[in-house]
Amino acid sequence: MSALPRPSALQMLHGFVVLAQKTAQTKLTYRLATLVSLLASVTSYGVYLLVWLAIYRENPRPGPLSRDEMLAYLIVAFLVNSLLVMSVELRFGQRIRSGLVASDLLRPIGFLALQMGQAAGDVLVNLVYALPLFGVGYWFFGSALLPHDGVALALAVVSIGLGFLIAFGLSYLIVQASFVLQSGYGVFFLRASLHQVFSGLSAPLVMFPRQLRAVAEALPFHHEIETPARIWLGLVAWPEALRLMAWQAAWGVGLLAAGELILSAVMRRHQVQGG
Amino acid sequence: MRFYFLFYRTAVKAIAEYRVDFAVGVVTAVAMQLAALGFYWVVFSRAPGLGGWKASEVLLLFGLTALVLGLSELLSNGIWWLPYYVQDGQLDRLLIYPVDSLTFVLMSRPELHALGNLATGAVTLGIAWSTLGVPTWMLLLVPLWVLCGSVVYTGALVVTGSLMLRVVGPWASHLFTMHQLLNTSRYPLSMYPGWLRALVMYVVPFGAAIFVPADFLRGHGSLLGAVLWPIAGALASGVVAKLTWNAALRGYQSTGS
Repeated sequence: MSALPRPSALQMLHGFVVLAQKTAQTKLTYRLATLVSLLASVTSYGVYLLVWLAIYRENPRPGPLSRDEMLAYLIVAFLVNSLLVMSVELRFGQRIRSGLVASDLLRPIGFLALQMGQAAGDVLVNLVYALPLFGVGYWFFGSALLPHDGVALALAVVSIGLGFLIAFGLSYLIVQASFVLQSGYGVFFLRASLHQVFSGLSAPLVMFPRQLRAVAEALPFHHEIETPARIWLGLVAWPEALRLMAWQAAWGVGLLAAGELILSAVMRRHQVQGG
Repeated sequence: MRFYFLFYRTAVKAIAEYRVDFAVGVVTAVAMQLAALGFYWVVFSRAPGLGGWKASEVLLLFGLTALVLGLSELLSNGIWWLPYYVQDGQLDRLLIYPVDSLTFVLMSRPELHALGNLATGAVTLGIAWSTLGVPTWMLLLVPLWVLCGSVVYTGALVVTGSLMLRVVGPWASHLFTMHQLLNTSRYPLSMYPGWLRALVMYVVPFGAAIFVPADFLRGHGSLLGAVLWPIAGALASGVVAKLTWNAALRGYQSTGS
């Protein structure tokens, strides 16, 4: 029996785009559920905002950022986070439980591209919801939310793309745990906890105590949210932005490579369950 | 009661079979509490206090919130599995048992990672307790507060979860709204705007079960208030949750494959 021919680069790209489209269509079917999910994010983030407003009431100059700069940062960070929320872990967990992951592993496009295509579909849907949210933010905060200039806009768009690579890379790395654990719940939430503290979602790293900041800077999470948000708002000069983006690219590629290595090791002992 | 006890014990045994999952779950629960404390560290490195509360007093809120979350996860976590039960058609199977359906669903899936939340909550509360020099006899009230808070939290989840019987979705996103609202209990109510204070005191009374007792522990309010507010909040939440569940079930249409 001869092996199936590998798809060409063009076929791979077509498959990737179709996967993203279909994932987006599926997710849009559950519009109300997605909106409620968004409400949960807004509720969660509202607590951070209210805490920071209280901090500025108690101490009008708590750090290097003014109150308005801080609010603009928090809104942009929330929007970047909303854009990059993906369902890789949840989708993957369901496929493992039902045994359908067996067919995923046989797709000609490859397991990594399959997962990434679906993650890109998640981002497409997020974009649909993030744009009106940006409009609401603009209504309240005006031009403070806009990029500093055209260069900042271009760099920020690339940086958000690299942020996607890191966010997906982290998800792809930890979903491998689902192959060896009965439930991936634990590791998924472990990642969520680390993301919550170290991504810069609740505060830019410059507001962290020195020790916590040192830990955050050594981890990839802040390149998901904080780096794109700072570049968008023009809080870093462009040479520094390029250096940060080089770090983003390095983390993204490194995480994907680590994920592929672990997958190949896990596949040697994996047994498909469910059905 | 004997049936529920046996059912719960069996469910715990089933979960405990997976020891690595259990260990990872406990580590995760601790990590999530540490994540919240990480933000606490950021906050109090920038401000001496919040809403009239000192840093050590806010730890009382963190401790009680973690204990409330832990107890709810330990005893009534099944509500988080409701979307999967509905989607897979498993809810139909649960509904035909000759027992109270809500209790049955709640007890169907205990989470042992709750032990991580309970341990972290106890340590955090203990640190705050010793720092503030709270009288020891008040420890006797902690189980009451945690139980009442857990009923309030579970009640809020049940009301939101009942929506899933009408608004079918692939994930438990509805429930996260209430979970995130619980996070408001980690910080003093006095720093929130009036509408939010009213919401978490009277509508979803996390404040009645967590804020009022913590305020009493730091020397404000009365003993009577610290006992009656949590009980009233728990009773109201329990009754509303049960009524909402029953109403939602009346319109439930079976689904699943």
